[in-house]
Amino acid sequence: MKLHVHLSSDWILDTEMREYRPRETVDFCIVGTGAGGGVLAQRLARAGFSVVALEAGQWHDSERDMVSDEAGSARLYWNDLRITGGADPLELGANNSGKGVGGSTVHYAGFCPRLHPSDFHVRTRDGVAADWPISYEEIEPYYAQMEREYPVSGPARFPWGKPHGYPYAPLQAGTAGQMLIQGCTRLGIPVVAGGPVAIPAGRFGKRPHCIMRGFCLLGCKVGAKSSIHLSHIPDAIANGAEIRTGCMAREIPTDESGRATGVRYYRTLENGHVLEEEQRARAVIVAGYAIETPRLLLNSKSGRFPDGLANSSGIVGKHLMAQAGPVVWGRFAEPIRQYKAPPACACSEEFYETDPHNDFVRGYALQTVAPLPIAMAHLLVDETGCFGEELLRKMQDYNHYAAIGVLGEILPDPRNRVTIHPTATDQLGISVPYVQFSLFENDKRMMAAGIARARHVLGAAGATETHFVPRFAHLVGTCRMGFTPRDSVVDRWCRSWDVPNLLICDGSVLVTQGSANPALTISALAARTADWLRRAVPAGELAARPAGRQAAAQRQSVEAV
Amino acid sequence: MRSRYPKADVLAQRGHWDDATREVVLDRVHNVPRFAFFKPHEQATLIALSDRVLPQAQREPDRRVPIAPRIDQSCGTGKLEGFRFDNMPPLADAWRRGLQGLDQTAEALHGADFCDLDGARQDEVLQSIRAGSPPGEVWQHLPAQRWWIYIALRQIAGVYYAHPYAWDEIGFGGPAYPRGYFALNHGAPEPWEPREAGVEQ
Repeated sequence: MKLHVHLSSDWILDTEMREYRPRETVDFCIVGTGAGGGVLAQRLARAGFSVVALEAGQWHDSERDMVSDEAGSARLYWNDLRITGGADPLELGANNSGKGVGGSTVHYAGFCPRLHPSDFHVRTRDGVAADWPISYEEIEPYYAQMEREYPVSGPARFPWGKPHGYPYAPLQAGTAGQMLIQGCTRLGIPVVAGGPVAIPAGRFGKRPHCIMRGFCLLGCKVGAKSSIHLSHIPDAIANGAEIRTGCMAREIPTDESGRATGVRYYRTLENGHVLEEEQRARAVIVAGYAIETPRLLLNSKSGRFPDGLANSSGIVGKHLMAQAGPVVWGRFAEPIRQYKAPPACACSEEFYETDPHNDFVRGYALQTVAPLPIAMAHLLVDETGCFGEELLRKMQDYNHYAAIGVLGEILPDPRNRVTIHPTATDQLGISVPYVQFSLFENDKRMMAAGIARARHVLGAAGATETHFVPRFAHLVGTCRMGFTPRDSVVDRWCRSWDVPNLLICDGSVLVTQGSANPALTISALAARTADWLRRAVPAGELAARPAGRQAAAQRQSVEAV
Repeated sequence: MRSRYPKADVLAQRGHWDDATREVVLDRVHNVPRFAFFKPHEQATLIALSDRVLPQAQREPDRRVPIAPRIDQSCGTGKLEGFRFDNMPPLADAWRRGLQGLDQTAEALHGADFCDLDGARQDEVLQSIRAGSPPGEVWQHLPAQRWWIYIALRQIAGVYYAHPYAWDEIGFGGPAYPRGYFALNHGAPEPWEPREAGVEQ
């Protein structure tokens, strides 16, 4: 079919896209086109495999569909019904899940830090959570690849985790971002300017440079911020992959030998008509992020898999992690005009690691954030429930606020989970996810420390008063990778233990999350899995189920699930 | 309240906006939907509530932001919100029951419907809901604080601060594509942006 989509202000994706018939058996059917699925589609198509990627949403044409307007940007989000509960229920949709080609990378701020080496051994080091079945060194080359391909700009030397430098120079920070730098500097806290953020300081290929408009979270109309629909999807299409939009996966059918045969989905046509189709595939990769991925697996029940697909361990949907994302803001006597320049422009990871002086393990990062007016009003009403003249007056100070986001590591807990709601269904009649989330003691202490630190930093920068609201960002961890079929859903290559030709490759496989925004890690894992598939498929490795690593598993003490 | 940005007129910059954004923002200004979902008494209650949450009496009548019709529209069209709390009904239902709750609390505290009270008494009703345990049968089943923050305040503020007249009030620069920004240091305004009275030249 013919595509004609504006990807940036002067780049139109004007090309013929290969189309497969659903009954045709393709090598890979991928569910989702975000940080995981988009990179897989590109890598696997380049390797010569036939690839169909199903996307529930549509293309976001940068000229037609993206607007410089908060209230007008709802179509970027996953707004389908989800039920949320627990002691600290997560708000879902807007800031933590995307719909459309590129997934949430269309509306992320673009912060792209790496995990630290310590993140892969949290159980061994701190006695909590679990270890990853891979080390930092195994993912490191893929981080470097993704930082060039997105690309990511940042300091020449990033001092935390395993120190490294960025391939592109940082952008200038706006005044709001400069407050984090100023406050940290005055307190002697190491801080870096320049993200790391997926916005290069200059033109990148067909993508213009940033115009400092500050609407990163509403989709980049300019095309300067890297999103997967810019960085990887066009190359996937050029190499023969089909990106099939308007297709909501509902079930992964299996044959009598227990292998996945493809994906059943509802396809919504432009006229609103809904078709039921099934794409046949030799292998299926689920990349729908930490809520839709377990939802699809749990909705794929059969006689052979009565608890859902890939769920012999019983832990599909468990260990959901949000990242703590309290927003702390200060009022400054001088104007700030926080709406200018990309919100993601500076950070400190000085408090990322376990510090024996703290009353908690693991830690948090401090990052720049810059709420636009509606987001700011929501912070103000959330804080105290204020209204009337008080709310008007506080909002009149809009141009005098600068904010810091505390991005903190919440530990995995099996009680935080995604299940299928017993009664509610979405607009297509598919049972919806029920998300339960509560903070536990370590999480609460970490958040309190992060908030106190951010207030201290803003005060040092000159804020006359500071405020905060607890928030959460990023959702990972519901199909964790691990050492054995008993303790995890996928193996070290993101392959399901139970179904030999089923892979899961998105944020849901993360074992822990550190205090790093997850997009780059998800893409790096996807590139690594694609590399493995390029060798494993011809070698026949998808013919049988993977074997667990018993020796390694014995070293690993896993909490009860 | 005296305007801190007396010369602000973000709509005057609309010639510098892209077509898609201009269409969305001007539609918001010029095409106010008619009530289609709420019944007349519910409309009166919602309008009274909006007037207390974001008072606009001091604005010129033609510079007021229409709030209640937008909320009516999102309830009537079944707008998807991305999630629902497990102890809250769907959006439209939550609004309807909450408005009923306002009347019940008003009746218990002051012996009249919410929309018939004066501003000070209406605020007492709202403070009671804000505090979390207002009188009224509705609030036995509808968590009052959650309704207050997530339904009432977030949605009313969301409609208000989506409007260019509200942007003028807070000195927000508004849509910025394709022109972008150049003045990034010291919180400085662009040449075309309004100055804050008493703070900036």
